[in-house]
Amino acid sequence: MEPIVELVDVTKQFDGTPVLKGVTFSVMPGEIIGYIGPNGAGKSTTVKIILGMLKKDSGTIRLFDQLLDPNDVTYKSRIGYVPENAELYETLTAKEYLLFVGELYGMKEQDIIQKSVQMMDALGIRDAFHGRLSSFSKGMRQKVLIISSLIHDPDILFWDEPLSGLDANSVQIIKELLAKLKQDGKTIFYSSHVMDTVEKLSDRILILHDGHVVADGPFSELKKEAAGTLEQLFNTLTGFDQHEALAEQFLQGMKGEFTHDA
Amino acid sequence: MMRDVFGGGEQAGDPFYLKLIDKLAPLYRKIGVDYPQMRTILEMKLTMDSRKEAVIQGMNTSKKQDEEKNQFFSSLWVYAIISVFLLFLFVYDNWVFQYTTYFSYIFIMLFSTMLANFSNILLDTKDAELIGTKPVSQKTIGAAKATHIGIYLVSFTFAAGLAVMLATFYFNGILAGLLIIFLSFLSALWALGLTIILYATVLKHFDGEKLKNIIAYSQIGVSVFMVAGYYLMGQIFEVIDPETFLVEMNLSLGHALLFPMWFVAPFGLLQEGFQTVYLVYTVFLIVGTIAIGILYNLNSDKIDSNLQKMNKAKAKPSSRSLLEKGTAKLLSFSSLEKAYYHFTWQLTKNEREFKTRLYPSIASAMIFPLFMFFSSLRGDQPITSQNTLTFLYLPYFTMLAIPMIAVATQFSVNYKGRWLFELSPKHAKGPFLRAVTKVMLVKILLPMYGLISLLILILTGFTYSVQLLNGFLLMSDILYFEMKRTGQQLPFSRKYAASEANQGCMASLIFFVPVFVISLGMILLQTFVPYAEWGVLVGLLALNGWWMKKGFDK
Repeated sequence: MEPIVELVDVTKQFDGTPVLKGVTFSVMPGEIIGYIGPNGAGKSTTVKIILGMLKKDSGTIRLFDQLLDPNDVTYKSRIGYVPENAELYETLTAKEYLLFVGELYGMKEQDIIQKSVQMMDALGIRDAFHGRLSSFSKGMRQKVLIISSLIHDPDILFWDEPLSGLDANSVQIIKELLAKLKQDGKTIFYSSHVMDTVEKLSDRILILHDGHVVADGPFSELKKEAAGTLEQLFNTLTGFDQHEALAEQFLQGMKGEFTHDA
Repeated sequence: MMRDVFGGGEQAGDPFYLKLIDKLAPLYRKIGVDYPQMRTILEMKLTMDSRKEAVIQGMNTSKKQDEEKNQFFSSLWVYAIISVFLLFLFVYDNWVFQYTTYFSYIFIMLFSTMLANFSNILLDTKDAELIGTKPVSQKTIGAAKATHIGIYLVSFTFAAGLAVMLATFYFNGILAGLLIIFLSFLSALWALGLTIILYATVLKHFDGEKLKNIIAYSQIGVSVFMVAGYYLMGQIFEVIDPETFLVEMNLSLGHALLFPMWFVAPFGLLQEGFQTVYLVYTVFLIVGTIAIGILYNLNSDKIDSNLQKMNKAKAKPSSRSLLEKGTAKLLSFSSLEKAYYHFTWQLTKNEREFKTRLYPSIASAMIFPLFMFFSSLRGDQPITSQNTLTFLYLPYFTMLAIPMIAVATQFSVNYKGRWLFELSPKHAKGPFLRAVTKVMLVKILLPMYGLISLLILILTGFTYSVQLLNGFLLMSDILYFEMKRTGQQLPFSRKYAASEANQGCMASLIFFVPVFVISLGMILLQTFVPYAEWGVLVGLLALNGWWMKKGFDK
């Protein structure tokens, strides 16, 4: 089987600062990839490059077995995207927003409405169909974003913190949904800072650190390199072992007791 | 209740401009735009413009929530009324003169609106994330943005030129009337096209922090050129005989660069028949239009593809400058106010959107007195009491930036941060508004006024320093009253929408007459009543002291 996403030596710098220093990985269809890394490691940058929002400096990207062509946007109709910061056009109603997104994918109004209503119903926000997004809670917005990323039945999903703001019941639904999407053959790029969720959900884990992929494999394999949970593995790979000392420093800062090296 | 705005394509309920744009669909397709997608985006944008962001929960009750009205269109009548003043042009029987004045006016209005109010729509980075991730090409996004602004600019042009257009039909005939309608429409497209090309070029070639500054500089640059051009246009004509309204035109080679003149040339051909200069200018107009069309087509996708650069600038360590610290100590009378003072100072330092909105009007408010100053100097006249008087009151023109300051401080891209203000333990609106007003006074008005005053001090010596000081104190009071008049909400807590674009101009209009009367009154008082300046000084100081301590408290 050919990989559905393939990056070879992709680099990117901003204002002279390298953010991606040669990212290489490939993803098979039907995989759930846990894409993790510390803040500023370049996760969002990678996704933005794949989605054509940013241009890479060098390297090659293949999607759906084709070289990524910045002038051809049709591949984006096979991608669903949940952005990290939950940006939406807030003055629109949920219905209008979903119609808008659906129509950009070239879908029919009737289809969009039927699909949206059913999906919103499943997530328990059907009543809010005509409400303005600005009045929505964070969890409700997240649900709208998830729906809008799936409305066109895409093949690859890029979900950045998809569970953020969701209540426990909704989290259950989305986790179940992920499993079903995978059975359906969808490829899912799942990015999160919540390690145990990533550990449980992902078929494979990619850890990005300082512009490089520092770990790539199923969790069971990665465990051989460093014992314990994904969180511990993550800490080891990103060279982080001072959480206790730092928490202490933080607390002292709050109380106004300053350490001389702070 | 809510209208269903995305009703699958052409409907009877569509506004006429959308129907008009539907007629242009083949044109859009020709340049590689996906028309249905573009129309979807455009409709969405216009729907959003017609809705007001609900300000702080509980403050504005649901009264206004469902009201859907595009503020921009409903404020256009003001420009239509102003355009009546241009009718004086028709006492001159020289079409070239009439339309030179008309097009200079139209272009100034167009560029200042475009730069101050619509730049942020062109440079909006949100679309890249929400639309750019869908199968929509950059060209289509670019076309949607351009059309979105285009609708506003064209309707703005027709409002601003309404009286002249109607009068043209009446005085100069149907042919001239049709010509002016067409050329006014074209001038709106020129302003839009040139701005897009400018931003696309800047975005393509610069990066990071530099980019933000260069965008601000290019805005200031355009404003300067605009006013300079207006000044030069004025030189072309000379009124020979004021009684018969005879004007003479002196075109020289240098004037060929003043492109509004190109729009006038066809009228020259129409009234005076064939003249080489008119023909050349008309050819310039045609060539220029084609060039803008081609350049637009080459650059229309560049803005969005490069916009992400804007968000990626490296953070520079920011610190409180000496001026900031010193004035905060001097002008803030409570710790809360001081906190807001620093907050406002830093926010206005960092927010690009704030700068893009305010800088063009600062530039235009500065450039006029500077021009007057240097052109009077060139005249080699000795400094008499007469022209000292003119010099003395030149700095007053910087007051023209005040209405825009009052408008600009209401908005912020991070308007959502307003929850912080609501959370603060004390009743904070008064101190906050005081702090904002003081920061604007120190950071923006003081340097503007100070620079021009300094030039004048160098020229006239210290004899008139009290008058100059009084001017600044008056400006400070006027700033307070303008902020008071416009600021019904907390500063920096509103979301900017395209439909708010006319706010600055509207405010300027309401502002202009009373301020003019007050300033004139003060000038006359100081000129003709001996020692009046000292009385004025005391009065203004008291007023300043009062608002700085107690202003905005309700």
